[in-house]
Amino acid sequence: MKKIEAIIKPFKLDDVKDALNNIGIKGMTITEVKGYGRQKGHKEVYRGAEYFVDFIPKIKIGIIISAEQVEEVVDTISKAAHTGKIGDGKIFIMPVDEVIRVRTGERGPEAI
Amino acid sequence: MNPSELRAKRAALESLWQEGLSGQALLAKHTELIDSNLSHSFKNCPADTSEMALVALGGYGRQELFPFSDIDLMILYRDCSDDEIKSAAEAIFYPLWDAGLEVGHGVRNKEICLDDAEADFFFQVALLDARLLAGNNEIFTDLMAEFHTTFVHSQRKEFFEKMVSHCRLRHERFGNHSYLLEPHIKESRGGFRDLQAMLWSAKVVFGIDSLEELGNSALISQADQQNLEEASNNLIRIRNRLHYISGRKNDQLFFEHQEEMAEAFSYRTSKAMLGVELFMRDLHNSLQTIAVATELFFEHVTDVVGLTRPEKGDKKLEQGLAIRQGRIQLTAPELLTSRPHLMMRTFSQASATGLPIHHRTKKLISDNLELLNDNQRHSKRMAKAFLDTLQAGKPLTVLTDMLETGLLSAFIPEFEHLESLAQHDIYHVYTVDRHLLQSVAELNLLAQEESAIFNGLSSPLILLLAGLIHDIGKGTNQDHSEYGSELALVIGKRLGLPENERDDLAFLVRHHLYLTDTALRRDIEDEGLIRQCAKKIQEPERLAMLYLLSMADARATGPTVWTEWKGALLQGLYLKVAHVLEHKEMAPPDQKQAGHWMRDQIAQMMGGSTFDLATLPDDYLLNLPAAEVANHIRLRQEALPERTTILEPCDMDDHWQLLLMAQDRPGLLSRFCGVLALHNIKVLGARIFTWNDGTVVDVVDVTSAVGNQFDDQEWQRLQADLDLALNFQLGIRHRLSKKIQPPGRKPKLRTIKHPHSRVTIEPDGSDNYTIVEVFSEDRPVLLYNITCALLDFGLSVYRAQIGSQADQVVDVFYVLDHQGNKIHDPQFIEEIRQGLIFAAS
Repeated sequence: MKKIEAIIKPFKLDDVKDALNNIGIKGMTITEVKGYGRQKGHKEVYRGAEYFVDFIPKIKIGIIISAEQVEEVVDTISKAAHTGKIGDGKIFIMPVDEVIRVRTGERGPEAI
Repeated sequence: MNPSELRAKRAALESLWQEGLSGQALLAKHTELIDSNLSHSFKNCPADTSEMALVALGGYGRQELFPFSDIDLMILYRDCSDDEIKSAAEAIFYPLWDAGLEVGHGVRNKEICLDDAEADFFFQVALLDARLLAGNNEIFTDLMAEFHTTFVHSQRKEFFEKMVSHCRLRHERFGNHSYLLEPHIKESRGGFRDLQAMLWSAKVVFGIDSLEELGNSALISQADQQNLEEASNNLIRIRNRLHYISGRKNDQLFFEHQEEMAEAFSYRTSKAMLGVELFMRDLHNSLQTIAVATELFFEHVTDVVGLTRPEKGDKKLEQGLAIRQGRIQLTAPELLTSRPHLMMRTFSQASATGLPIHHRTKKLISDNLELLNDNQRHSKRMAKAFLDTLQAGKPLTVLTDMLETGLLSAFIPEFEHLESLAQHDIYHVYTVDRHLLQSVAELNLLAQEESAIFNGLSSPLILLLAGLIHDIGKGTNQDHSEYGSELALVIGKRLGLPENERDDLAFLVRHHLYLTDTALRRDIEDEGLIRQCAKKIQEPERLAMLYLLSMADARATGPTVWTEWKGALLQGLYLKVAHVLEHKEMAPPDQKQAGHWMRDQIAQMMGGSTFDLATLPDDYLLNLPAAEVANHIRLRQEALPERTTILEPCDMDDHWQLLLMAQDRPGLLSRFCGVLALHNIKVLGARIFTWNDGTVVDVVDVTSAVGNQFDDQEWQRLQADLDLALNFQLGIRHRLSKKIQPPGRKPKLRTIKHPHSRVTIEPDGSDNYTIVEVFSEDRPVLLYNITCALLDFGLSVYRAQIGSQADQVVDVFYVLDHQGNKIHDPQFIEEIRQGLIFAAS
């Protein structure tokens, strides 16, 4: 099993969610996050007031899937989240040792 | 009666309820059932009970036993042995426990009882409702007599003070957001506890025993008494059902129960409102009725028992209005008929002084609302007093009073529809009327927090008014923003606002969701979008008001709605649009700023170069590191004048990067792609830039299609072929064709349809360019074919993203037609689409 963590632009959430739904991924965790990478923060001055935009709002999507689904999911997210501009985001793939469904105690892929 | 019998009887009670027995009748029936069970147990108790009494306390004492309420019991004894008491307690309590009832139990003699009452205010209150169920009457009356002498007759004032402070604590605890959405029928403001607190206080202070007596005593009005009875009956019905459907003692009306409840009480969904919203509105109205009436009663008693503040600082404010005992009072009620605007002045004075309004004055106003006729609603004096109220420092209390006295809806009749209007979702924790008042309060906070913006407004009043009425169109089946803006025009006119302010008001109401929706759902980095926003909003002042209103609206909706995260998005959008509106500049400040920054960096690196940095477009600068740009400029100045092309390959470990520079000419891109294919080089991705002087800079990520190492690749030959091709001396097509069909083998099928080929064309996909996307299966000649097809149509490619993933390719081209325009003609678009599908297949 793998965990896919994708950082995307906020307005792309619906597109990504729909695209993932279409390939049968129904469960995911959405977090509102802030950060910066190559798209650095900056300072803005407007009407004499200074606004520090040091972190840029992003959405983090977390999905646990079986290893065979990884390519399809990554592909789906990349396409749906793509605008071609700076700040489109990143996708991380990491191994998951075990999944346990709290209600039933099931383990492994069935518990996803 | 044994436990199973008791259980059966309670089940029978539930069936009676299902058949329609509810309200007071159910409570009485339940009490009766438990009473008869207990007196039976007491009578048949094996112990000698002659010196004992069985006493009901609290809600059970009042004979208000809800389906799963605790049954509060006390065994009162005098001169009994421990064994006797133990055996009696077992005989009485055990069957109740065995039947699964929640029992609050105590075993006390008179002395313990009085000590406990002294120590615990709640027990003291519980004793107020004590009722003898069975046993020795003398012991019971003896206790009650002493209890009343010690704790009631001599302690009226202390008892009342404690009661008031406990109420205040309880309101704080149950007044937070979660209870607004899911009211606690017992403990929330306006719940059962408030009603009981009033009755307990009436009992202790005035010796009054029931709501009916209270009405007769003129301590509350007959009308209030009736309203209270109705509200209380409504709450009883709801609480009965709540207990049964929860299957336990649950007094909080959780979100998931609300719909079921509404249905059970036959609330039907209409076009404009959900049944559950109508149900919640009635519930909120009941809570509201009890809250207002009991608070009025408490204020009245405060006066009577002499707890009011010292009488200093009394002063006359204007004719008919004065400060008395630190509160605003109407001193001459008879003046109201001739000067109805005094009602509104009461509130503007309260705002201005920050003092509360006396409860009798509030009562006076709500009793005289019919004086506020249509003439008054158009009156200038009335309007001025109203608008003054809005502008005060802390308007929430004053506006809440205005709402609760009914004056707000009398003055703005459009508001009445919103009173207690609930919205059945987990975001809107306030009813619409409260949300609007809260929005005005938030705007007042923002006046401090965002003072730079707020102080720049020429008419902050319009913003505050917009805060108060932005949702005025809710609760109908029309779009609430549109309908609300129509109402806003009407209201603005009635208030006598000048036309431009009315227009601003209507604009704010119509678009109060626009900025938030845009910030959350659109790409705010897109210049075109920012310009669209600017076009819609037009004036910087309107933008500033809309921004503040959006924040206030979100913050006043509920604790989950507003986050710093959303604030950052909204602020980003606001600043971008503001810059376009104020400076009429295309590029938002951050991009502009980044462009400047890059040019500075490059100028420093280049030393005394004469190169005009304005030649470099912003998108090019923002996509590459400064050092690379400086290198391009050097190559452009030193090498390019003497050569057709510059080709610089670079080994990047896992792939190669090619830099190609040349003067722009038709077919440059397709020829380049063709030559790469001839040399077994596969394109992974490409960034294509054209400087303003016509210099093309392509940065292309490639890899070998045949597994060559970087050093094996014949770069010299590649460069030579490229020069030939660009000088129209290389037959790319026939060479490629030969290469793909190895000699001796015939082509299988001339045209193999690749089922996955797909082309989309978005005429306005980007700000300045039409976007063409080609999805296809990856083949060596694909890119050449596509770029040739684009050339056939005279399309110039300004930027391209060539992304290969597995065996699928997505090529994105930013193009303009041969005259430098975006492509809008549907026929031409279809022609291009067909041409590209053919080329990609």
